[in-house]
Amino acid sequence: MIQEGGKILKTICQACHMSCGVLVQVVNGKIARIDGDPEHPLSQGMICPKGIAYQQVVYHPDRLLHPLKRVGERGENKWQRVSWGDALDHIAIKLLEIKEKYGPESIAACCGGNPRRSMPATRFLTESIGSSNWAYSDAFYCWGPHVIAENVTYGGRITSDVNIDTRNSECILVWGGNPVHTHTIVARDIMAARRRGAKIIVVDPRLTATASKAHIWLQLRPGTDAALALGILNVIIHEEMYDKEFVSKWCVGFEELKGRTLSYPPEKVSEITGVRAEDIKTVARIYTKAKPACLYLRVGNELIFNSTQSSRAIACLIAITGNIDVKGGNLFPCLPKGTIGRMFYVKKEWRLPEEKEEKRIGAREFPLLAGPRAPFGLFHTPLLVKAMLTEKPYPIKALIAANNLCLSLPNTREICEALKHLDLLVIYELFMTPTAELADFVLPAATFFEIDELIDRYSNFITVRRKVIEPLGECWDELKMTYEIVKRMRLKFTPWPELQARGWQGYEDFRLKDTGFVFKDIKAGEYVFAPMEYKKYERNGFTTPSGKVELYSSIFKEFGYDPLPDHVEPFESPASTPELAKEYPFILITGGRTIPYFHSLGHQVPWLRELVPDSTIEIHPEAAAKLGIREGNWVWVETPRGKGRIKQKAKLTRALHPKVVHSVAHWWYPERLTPDHGLWESNINVLTYSDPPYEPICGTCAMRGLLCKIYKGTEV
Amino acid sequence: MVELSLLINTDLCFGCQTCEIACKQENRLGTGPRWIHVIEVGPEKIGGVLKLGYRPMRCLHCSNPPCKEVCPTEAISKRKDGIVVLNSDLCLGCKACMEACPFGALQWSPETETVGKCTLCAHRIDEGLDPACVASCPTRAIYFGDINELTELKRKESANSIFW
Repeated sequence: MIQEGGKILKTICQACHMSCGVLVQVVNGKIARIDGDPEHPLSQGMICPKGIAYQQVVYHPDRLLHPLKRVGERGENKWQRVSWGDALDHIAIKLLEIKEKYGPESIAACCGGNPRRSMPATRFLTESIGSSNWAYSDAFYCWGPHVIAENVTYGGRITSDVNIDTRNSECILVWGGNPVHTHTIVARDIMAARRRGAKIIVVDPRLTATASKAHIWLQLRPGTDAALALGILNVIIHEEMYDKEFVSKWCVGFEELKGRTLSYPPEKVSEITGVRAEDIKTVARIYTKAKPACLYLRVGNELIFNSTQSSRAIACLIAITGNIDVKGGNLFPCLPKGTIGRMFYVKKEWRLPEEKEEKRIGAREFPLLAGPRAPFGLFHTPLLVKAMLTEKPYPIKALIAANNLCLSLPNTREICEALKHLDLLVIYELFMTPTAELADFVLPAATFFEIDELIDRYSNFITVRRKVIEPLGECWDELKMTYEIVKRMRLKFTPWPELQARGWQGYEDFRLKDTGFVFKDIKAGEYVFAPMEYKKYERNGFTTPSGKVELYSSIFKEFGYDPLPDHVEPFESPASTPELAKEYPFILITGGRTIPYFHSLGHQVPWLRELVPDSTIEIHPEAAAKLGIREGNWVWVETPRGKGRIKQKAKLTRALHPKVVHSVAHWWYPERLTPDHGLWESNINVLTYSDPPYEPICGTCAMRGLLCKIYKGTEV
Repeated sequence: MVELSLLINTDLCFGCQTCEIACKQENRLGTGPRWIHVIEVGPEKIGGVLKLGYRPMRCLHCSNPPCKEVCPTEAISKRKDGIVVLNSDLCLGCKACMEACPFGALQWSPETETVGKCTLCAHRIDEGLDPACVASCPTRAIYFGDINELTELKRKESANSIFW
């Protein structure tokens, strides 16, 4: 049964973002077993399927173990194993050529929603080269909208898993997320809160696992989140339940917000959202009267056409109920004094000069996503992809990517075409993916079990990840890849002298330099805590132009956006395009997560694939019956503007409204030996759009709240 | 007499399936056999409300196991502590037990071409540990111990929830 012997080592899991503590049994230098670490302050022994099964990622027979150089045509799947030296020399020479010929901005880099070291690794590459074209490539539809909204409203982010104080909360409102499948610790903590009497509310078009445990589930029509939030605000304001003291002392624009909410009485909101007016009132009362309450905002609210303004409406909701930075509410994290946070480089003082930032793709169209004033400063990916194809506003000739863009971005055809236009595509990866198949070089990345790292993805402590095994084959820490490429280009590693002097191996000590701690002295399983502080704004105010919570956003006004949150009807919907809806009668939502997979990772892992073996589309049994579709049938899916069709396996469920269907995203078939690995078969992004209309602030392409049609397959 | 068993608090199970993978790791199972499998029930409208639940299905370690009755090689036995175990060295692979079990608890292992089943992690219990599914459950929804103690535990929990 279980292997005996070896040693048990502590480290930090990174199968998702949560950073749980794990105990790893290592026998003869090999991982034999993974368990939760009961002593970890956050995870307290918890583990999930992804975490346990990560051993099958590490030792998967398909894992990339050596640098590969393309020898055939792009996408022909002909590779030659090369030495690191050869690969890096070639990459450096090519990058210098491109930089010389087209300028530094023609070189872009990105990482995905994977939590590997790829984020600083790719960021530092462009920083060193002097290009502002870097992004977490999916930010325009995930993370970006609420980050912008919360920054202009409070000056910081407040609705993520590191912000919600579920353990001290009386009411937890989960908006557009299913933490049972995505952030299982959060779901566990919600269950614990529920057991001690806290009220649980879930806003979701689907009856998810999380919603199934809620006291109240609000089933809204996809894409109408802002209307629902405004309806809740209307009730709170109309019934004078808001926190009057906090509002008068710490908010600006309350009267203007009140004026806007007058257009959203519960009855009207009910018509827009499909949620009963009575339920809107009940939720408003429960959420407001629970003291304190916290709100957990997830991507369901961001993949929609009105992503940023709906995040703004929700931001106002948290503010006027007085739940900001209070025990049991939504907290600003406090890390040990002096810690340079994991994403420090996106803060103003660490960024490239303004004239460089103005050149970033998307800076003109979406200044709060991509311009110098943006809270983070990331290129707008669809526009970058178009620039690869059209050379407008200027050519993009090289991309270094640490993610699987062909699966994650809308409009698969366009991204594949664009990547083929590049002079140089380099991929940092664990596996050969449909994206990596288009590359010139594929560089094998180390997993989190094979590297040392400072971990600060918590609300009030930091710890370290210690490698438990040596990297397999020739896999490298991604930060080292970047360092070595930059060195060969004879450029400085990052613009910051202190990091230049320390090199990539000094990155952790650079981040700790002002804390009094030395990285090597912190052992696995040691935690450095910061004292928990509340109402930190009472010292210095909020980092907004007024120093207060801006219900009426002066920044949005300055940039020409609506300073107040508002509902905008999805650009494709039975209400806005009734003619189109006759041919495409279903409202499509895409990309609801399932527990085994982290975005496009995990489909090749036997234990995980067994849990969710097929790419599914969920459809209500009554709707399915009308189309002659039965459980398990393969069906075709088409969208009005998508080219072609994809096949999905029908899953009949009453979890959805009969007019709404839900398709999983990121589906590929790693087991297919063709170079596209089944990219075109069941990947819903073949049918999503990267063309305008974009959401005006963050440039979101709606991937939830589209129209589609479904029909039974004959030749599938 | 001890009668070791699992009892599920279905209210606490949210269907994360961690128990399934913990079981796979513990018992080194490949693709195919699922000694514990969380089945989604619903959503169905019950009393006007849409309900969705999760049921971790596994061997119930019956007092008079039908699987044991039908096994031609006496590969299945019930331990003194109540655990129903299957000695795969004696298993013919005839699958009679799979037919007899009303709960689908007996699982085919394609690698060994024999039947396998939940052992209640007897090897862990013998070392004083909880079964892997119990130890790994994020919400502690799976209770393990002597059946009389478990019902008492459930009673107390139920009583507490009423008077909360």
